[in-house]
Amino acid sequence: MARTRFASALTLATGLLACTAAAYAQDVIKIGVVTDKVGSGKFYAEPVTRGIELGAKMINEKGGVLGKKIQLIIEDDQNKPDVSAAKARKLVDDGVLVIMSNTGSPATQQAQTVSLETKTPHLTPANSADTLTTQLNNPWFFQTGPLASIQLATLMTYTKARGFKKVAIVRDNSALSQSFAESFRKGLDGVGIETAVEEVIPQGATSAVANLQKVRAAKVDAILQAGILGPEMLQFFRAYQQLGMKEPILGSYNLSIPAYLTMAKDLMEGVVFVDAYDETKPEAKAFRDIYFKEYKEEPSSLPAYGWDGIHLVAQAIEKAGSLDKEKIRAALASTTGFVGAIGAKGSSWGFRNGGRSGFDPQGAVVRIIKNNQHGPVVHSGQK
Amino acid sequence: MEDFLELTVSAMASGCIYGLMALAYLIVLRPTSIINFAVGEWAATGAFVGVGMLSTLAWPHLEGPYILAVVAVIVVLGLLGWAVERLTVRPLVRRGAAVTSPILALLGVLVIFRESLTLIYGADPLPSPPPFGFKRIEIGIFAGASQQFFIIAVTLSLFVLVWLFFERTVWGRAFEAVALNRRAAALMGINLGRVTALAFAGGASVAGLAGLLMSPMTSAHYMMGLPLAIQGFTALVIGGVGRVEGALLGGLILAFVEQLGARYLPIPSGLTLAFPFALLILFLLLRPTGLLAPREAR
Repeated sequence: MARTRFASALTLATGLLACTAAAYAQDVIKIGVVTDKVGSGKFYAEPVTRGIELGAKMINEKGGVLGKKIQLIIEDDQNKPDVSAAKARKLVDDGVLVIMSNTGSPATQQAQTVSLETKTPHLTPANSADTLTTQLNNPWFFQTGPLASIQLATLMTYTKARGFKKVAIVRDNSALSQSFAESFRKGLDGVGIETAVEEVIPQGATSAVANLQKVRAAKVDAILQAGILGPEMLQFFRAYQQLGMKEPILGSYNLSIPAYLTMAKDLMEGVVFVDAYDETKPEAKAFRDIYFKEYKEEPSSLPAYGWDGIHLVAQAIEKAGSLDKEKIRAALASTTGFVGAIGAKGSSWGFRNGGRSGFDPQGAVVRIIKNNQHGPVVHSGQK
Repeated sequence: MEDFLELTVSAMASGCIYGLMALAYLIVLRPTSIINFAVGEWAATGAFVGVGMLSTLAWPHLEGPYILAVVAVIVVLGLLGWAVERLTVRPLVRRGAAVTSPILALLGVLVIFRESLTLIYGADPLPSPPPFGFKRIEIGIFAGASQQFFIIAVTLSLFVLVWLFFERTVWGRAFEAVALNRRAAALMGINLGRVTALAFAGGASVAGLAGLLMSPMTSAHYMMGLPLAIQGFTALVIGGVGRVEGALLGGLILAFVEQLGARYLPIPSGLTLAFPFALLILFLLLRPTGLLAPREAR
């Protein structure tokens, strides 16, 4: 008899516990974040993740989304495509409504196989590879980072007045750098600028002198820097300085990563680079004040991508009015005119004409490095 | 011609680093017959220990005395090398494990070192200050960065010291005796355990110094070990495992082939990655003993 009573009590307790857990689960909205905590992409992925965390905290302080708090579940994919897919799967199994990918484009590409299969809305707020929305027809995936083609077009508009006729591309042998260089090459062809030489500084190289001698011998008007890997790009800047070269260096938004300023201190003076962040824009100023109050340091553009990304997701869930993944996907897809901290003044994110890449073609800006700092915006958009 | 002379300095500096890595292999390999692929991680550890020393609380702006960093790297890496021998290699040898067992155990050590570096220092590359800046200097007809000339000077000095150690000291002779015939050396009263421990400590110190010297060119980062391990091993195969000077010769040949090839061969620069492997295969097929054969017993 006593045993029966104990069994009944246990069953009741288990049932109550399950009900409580279910109730708790309904009280939060789980958002999955794939970041890189230890791999080669850590130095850009982690600041973006920090922006997401700050954004989620602020949204929760204002009452959350649909009356529920956002709960972030963060997974580390080490910037490896195979691990990224496995982590995305784990996030879906954990019950996330949306996945946000912050690591390299190749890893995000692979994680898309999971969002496609499990029909989970998937956003990358900072990735830039043009192919992310073209290689796989995945209606669940959205991208808001500045496409490499937009970056190049913005750079070309800025440099048009300088009359560059032939340039060199220097990159490393990472997949992302290769993808950047390819976009640059296509863009240059499109505007009739000759790519006289393309040099690769392989991972593990101990000198880039030979590479830059070839660039110097080609007598180019400018050098497009499409590298991603810090140590190899440091070699580039070292060799550039050592050989006394004067050709202007134009870089992608990767040079907006603050770690380069520390690593290649005093070597990047005058380097022109694309960014998607204008500190004088009101939304960027508001973000800066919140970030500074929280972390007591000035933000770069990277956390702003995450900040905007989580706000975009929250807005889509609010607009969907439910936790149904299809409704959230549809709400995301219908986004237009989203103005955040990222983007030039007057630009906005939006997925127009059924597209899934939302960065405004007029949203990139050009900045110049001065005194080891990212200098002010000197050019904006493609006009 | 200007290009060639600039490239000569650059290739000599890279060749010296490869030579030091080959020497780190050789110091362990000669008396123990163990190929230690963890030398690459020892180099990375050396870079981090050096940068750590230069950026301690006393010198937050990386302005610590460079000689302190050098001493710290030699001592810390020496102790780590000694500890690795004590904790992994010696127990296996005592148990009569197969000859490949220590090599496999050292691959495990490699992973432990690499992951420990990311846990302690993080994954971000750390800036490493060159002791004499990085400005371009010209010596006669040669031009290069001051760090490159510094690497060449330190490496040549170190090779002379190591050569003198092996050729002129009793301990060096003991190393050579163990390398020639381990059992006979033991019968003559040479302490094999002590020689092996010293070999690991010495190899680790040399690799650590290579990492410290290299770090101003590439920054100190946890992924720097593997390429250095490959380049050092290739240099060792080219120069031959029997002679100290062979390590330097192999390193210089590899670096000159890499950099002259990258500059003058009409191939995409990404293909230069294959040069070390192509040389490795070539030498293993055509001259497995390397360019310099070991000396006969004297």
